[in-house]
Amino acid sequence: MISFDIQLDRPGFSLDVAGTFEGGITAVFGPSGAGKTTLLNCIAGSIRPDSGHVKVDGRTLYSSHEPSWIAPDRRRIGTVYQDGALFPHLDVRRNIEFGWRLIPQSSRKLAPIEIAEFLGLEKHLSRLPAELSGGERQRVAIARALAISPNLLLLDEPLASLDAARRGSILNYLKRVHAEYEIPMVYVSHSISEVAAIASKAMLLRDGRVVGFDRPTSLLLRAASSQSGTVDGQGEYQERFDNILPGVVGESTRHLTAINMACVEIFATRQNRIPGDNVVVSLGANQIILAVSEPRDISARNVIRGTVLEIWSSEGRVFLEVDTGQKLIVELTESALDDLRIEVGTDVFLVFKSSSVDIFDA
Amino acid sequence: MNSEISIIALSLQTAAVATAVTLPMGMLIAWLLVRRDFRGKFVLDVFVSLPLALPPVVVGYMLLWIVGGNSWFGEVSESLFGSTIAFTWLAAALAAAVVSLPLVVRSFAAALAAVDPRLESAARGLGAGPFRTFLTVTLPLAYRGVIAGALLGFIRAFSEFGATIVVAGNIPGRTQTIPSAIFTRISSGDTEAAWRLALVSVVIGIAALAAHNWLLRRSNASSILFSRPGGRDQ
Repeated sequence: MISFDIQLDRPGFSLDVAGTFEGGITAVFGPSGAGKTTLLNCIAGSIRPDSGHVKVDGRTLYSSHEPSWIAPDRRRIGTVYQDGALFPHLDVRRNIEFGWRLIPQSSRKLAPIEIAEFLGLEKHLSRLPAELSGGERQRVAIARALAISPNLLLLDEPLASLDAARRGSILNYLKRVHAEYEIPMVYVSHSISEVAAIASKAMLLRDGRVVGFDRPTSLLLRAASSQSGTVDGQGEYQERFDNILPGVVGESTRHLTAINMACVEIFATRQNRIPGDNVVVSLGANQIILAVSEPRDISARNVIRGTVLEIWSSEGRVFLEVDTGQKLIVELTESALDDLRIEVGTDVFLVFKSSSVDIFDA
Repeated sequence: MNSEISIIALSLQTAAVATAVTLPMGMLIAWLLVRRDFRGKFVLDVFVSLPLALPPVVVGYMLLWIVGGNSWFGEVSESLFGSTIAFTWLAAALAAAVVSLPLVVRSFAAALAAVDPRLESAARGLGAGPFRTFLTVTLPLAYRGVIAGALLGFIRAFSEFGATIVVAGNIPGRTQTIPSAIFTRISSGDTEAAWRLALVSVVIGIAALAAHNWLLRRSNASSILFSRPGGRDQ
């Protein structure tokens, strides 16, 4: 468990945030400049706040009242940076072993070679970071952080410097790492889609203040309104929400490939993939059409029955969470919602084209 | 000829001792200037750079006042060694160190600034203390620039004249370095000897600068002598 109460004043920027993160994966998100990375640095100890406290599992890492300060090298908190921040002069093995060598033998719970195998790096151990792909670099960064048997794993935009095809893969690795090693994680991102795909709870920051702390999907609207019109660090508008979900490749016909997700089968345009392959599915919330009665004779290849679980609406924008066996987020306009008289509990049909479904490597 | 070899040897010795002093000091000061925020940073920067802006004669005169018998430092060294270090080869080394320190600090600062500070944060987070982080991450990534800076400092110390002659004098066999020996040869009209020693200076200078530039071209730090517009490449 992490609890923090941090005040920090810098020219042109101030951070004043407090919160408690239970175990599991907690996300911190918001537009760039909101203070996400600064918060992470305060927890890691590379920035010392002006006042407040930081506690991890009951251990006080910083407190202005007592006062106390634990240097970052004594915190045992693993950090994964945006582009990995691997040591360029050390090969993969030395990168992974860097922190492992520095912790007492009795604290070494995970062997570097096991971690490397778990992350599929055993073939790259003698390579230098410059010889790796972006996805491989990020896996080394995760392995390096895991090797210190951390009490906590901090992830600072770990997908931001990767292309879409690799993001799903790293997300999947992170989920597997969490399932396997049960290390609490704090996941920083500017992308609500990413956050919803991995975190159970999310803290929304804006201008150095907490504006929400809830399930990621419950923060959708506020995230959308806090980001619409602002350009993030990557230069894209962050208005759109993508459902990012794990799936397994099923049978293919001439034009379509079935993807099995928990309790639902959907169709994507034909993929050159072997049945049984794990994939990551991405489906834009605004690509889904909602119907209250079952549509027939329709060109869209996907028609899925579900129940509305929750509705968030404001300023003309509406997000619905629909349980189809797999929870999906659907974006509508407010007038559509009014016309269809949809409320929580309404049975609906989700309709989308096979070409709206993007499939990535898991 | 023998006396010229001993002059060259003394010059090398003086410059080597000066470099041995400026290396750790320059590294510490450069690290403070690049990586730390503290009160008085500006003052430290100006103070260290001052010898660049002053005529070397003035630096030598100040040093003479500091090491001479009337100052606190002079009194201590006099009671310890029986005399002050003024007009010894140690004074020549001191003068050379002070005059070359700004160049060393600037070169080291450029080399350190080229190292991504997140790599240092990463090392700290992985359990390395500040000193280990410096030795295992910062230095290996900056070493070309550091060696280049040390070479630059060495060659500046080697060619030091103005401050040296004031604080160490020009005593043949004791404090006479190549530049002061050339000065003496020119004054006495022994142009052949002056040219010989000048040639030695030129050869050593070219060798050191060539090595310096070669190292810098292979490192991330930009040369302070031949820096590209806009500084560091991004």
